[in-house]
Amino acid sequence: MYERYKEKIVNFYYKHKRMPGYAEIMSLTGFRSKNAVFKLIEKLCEEGVVQKDARGHLSPLNISRGARLLGLIEAGFPSAAEEELLDVMDFDEYLTPNKESSYILKVKGDSMIDAGIHPGDMVIVERKQSYKPGQIVIACIDSEYTMKYLRKQDDKPARAGDSGRSGGYFLEPANAKYKPIYPSENFRVEAVVTAVVRKY
Amino acid sequence: MSWGHSSFPRAILHVDGDSFFASCEIAKNPRLRGKPVITGKERGIVSACTYDLKAKGVMVGMKLHEVRKIAPDAIVLPSDYESYSLFSERMYEIVRRYTPTVDEYSIDECFADLTGMRRVNKMNYRDMAHAIKRELDTELGITFSVGLSATKVLAKVGSKWKKPNGFTVIPLNEASTYLKKLPVGKLWGIGPNTAAYLTKFGIHTAFDFAQKDESWVRERVSKPFYEVWKELGGEVVYELNTEKKTEYQSISKTKTFTPPSREETFVFSQLSKNVENACIKARRWNLAAPEVFFFLKTQDFQYRGFEIKLPHPSAVPQDILGEVRKYFPQIFRKGELYRATGITLLKLQSADLMQLDLFGAVAESQGLKLVFDSIDSISERYGKHAIFLGSSFQAVRFGAHLGDRGDTPARTRQLFKGETVRRRLAIPMLGEVN
Repeated sequence: MYERYKEKIVNFYYKHKRMPGYAEIMSLTGFRSKNAVFKLIEKLCEEGVVQKDARGHLSPLNISRGARLLGLIEAGFPSAAEEELLDVMDFDEYLTPNKESSYILKVKGDSMIDAGIHPGDMVIVERKQSYKPGQIVIACIDSEYTMKYLRKQDDKPARAGDSGRSGGYFLEPANAKYKPIYPSENFRVEAVVTAVVRKY
Repeated sequence: MSWGHSSFPRAILHVDGDSFFASCEIAKNPRLRGKPVITGKERGIVSACTYDLKAKGVMVGMKLHEVRKIAPDAIVLPSDYESYSLFSERMYEIVRRYTPTVDEYSIDECFADLTGMRRVNKMNYRDMAHAIKRELDTELGITFSVGLSATKVLAKVGSKWKKPNGFTVIPLNEASTYLKKLPVGKLWGIGPNTAAYLTKFGIHTAFDFAQKDESWVRERVSKPFYEVWKELGGEVVYELNTEKKTEYQSISKTKTFTPPSREETFVFSQLSKNVENACIKARRWNLAAPEVFFFLKTQDFQYRGFEIKLPHPSAVPQDILGEVRKYFPQIFRKGELYRATGITLLKLQSADLMQLDLFGAVAESQGLKLVFDSIDSISERYGKHAIFLGSSFQAVRFGAHLGDRGDTPARTRQLFKGETVRRRLAIPMLGEVN
């Protein structure tokens, strides 16, 4: 992996004629923490590829692009297949990009059937700091989880009996059989649905 | 002792899950919110409990029938270590976003060294600690108590300062304010005996202890307490152990059975079943144990056990039971009531590294191994214990518990298509949703 990261940074340098910053290295490598970038830079410094000045800015030191070795072969041309396979991800990464905040639930009712979520399905959800209208969310009402669209009443005035806590938010099912829920008291959005998994 | 002018010569963080097991259960099931929750049903004692119960006098380790007298409304759940471990791993990973130096101290707590990470994370130590706490609370759905200071001992003073949901930053130059209010016996590593001993010298608070000069401390207390003293002064003695704990160095199977029994064959059959279960797990990971430890636990919680070196590493129950049978009579006492048995396979190694012995015992055991490979495939198809040893008969036949103690965690019953009772997705499940 390190060689691949190094190559991306070298390529960036040749393309932009400058060294990337921390945030840019994060997007180049797919790292999710600055700390990982920090460690990568430490290694690059150690190897003498780049150097850091007193303020932490990077400058190139020995940043030449060499010929790539694509595995040893007896004869013929190098195969590109090995390189291509580096740019794939597995289902774990695809379905739960934020592993630490991801959870699963089993769907019981049919209130979200028009959104394509059926009884028995597995939903993958993420706990977040905040949630936006339009998302399918898991809310906790009277100690029960319910999965609905999160909506906000912007044009309508707040209904009588609405407490300040619901802040004009309400929950809308994706099934004509069910009515929207206008929560008042014990209303808390717990998580946002990020995927539905169904095995046959 | 003077704590100088520097606030963080080192920045050590301590993260502690608030009644962790109980909190995990509540995070998984919204119906438990605001209710008194206890885990440890299968053990018959409290493993963890919520703070309202602690306020009523319920303590970890208390027998459940005693709890019933103080808190009859408490909800008692069987331990779901799989989920607790998943939450625990997540805790370490979230802390690692801010520093690579994380000490996985135990399932519900960890230390982290934030020293030198200010520029990388573009924030000061207090903000870093706060960001870690916020991300932990949000993403895990349970609260943590966090302490930040210059050493492990001081960081731990911080995390205990306010609990639950505490956030206490103790810059070294302000440490004395906190230590003056802290009884010396509340310090990490100082037990009631040492506290009583220190009181004889007029040491009542952690501050009093920290104020003693080095020559006095070296003369009067043993090395561990001398180290605590140094840490109180801001000198790091306990460095962080960042080595990841390697999994499956040992496999342990313990089962409590109710009602307790005096009968030798019944107790042995319980042990035999545990040995079978431990071996199943070892074979699944292709491991073999050169040494084992087994124990019996009496009704009044006395343990008696034996550590045995096997003739050769094995994951075949006959090999282990053959040895256990030799020593079992030495620890089984007639007339004594037993409540649990347990076996631990120690120093596990790869089963492929088998060395042959002089008398062909290994070869014979290899033959048995083939038999058990077949048994494992049969169990795969027809369920665990489709075939079991005669010596485990009573235990398998009658189960471990008469009554509701045999409850299993909900997750083993709420399976998705493609999951099995033995292997499930490594993501905590929050139950069902309408």
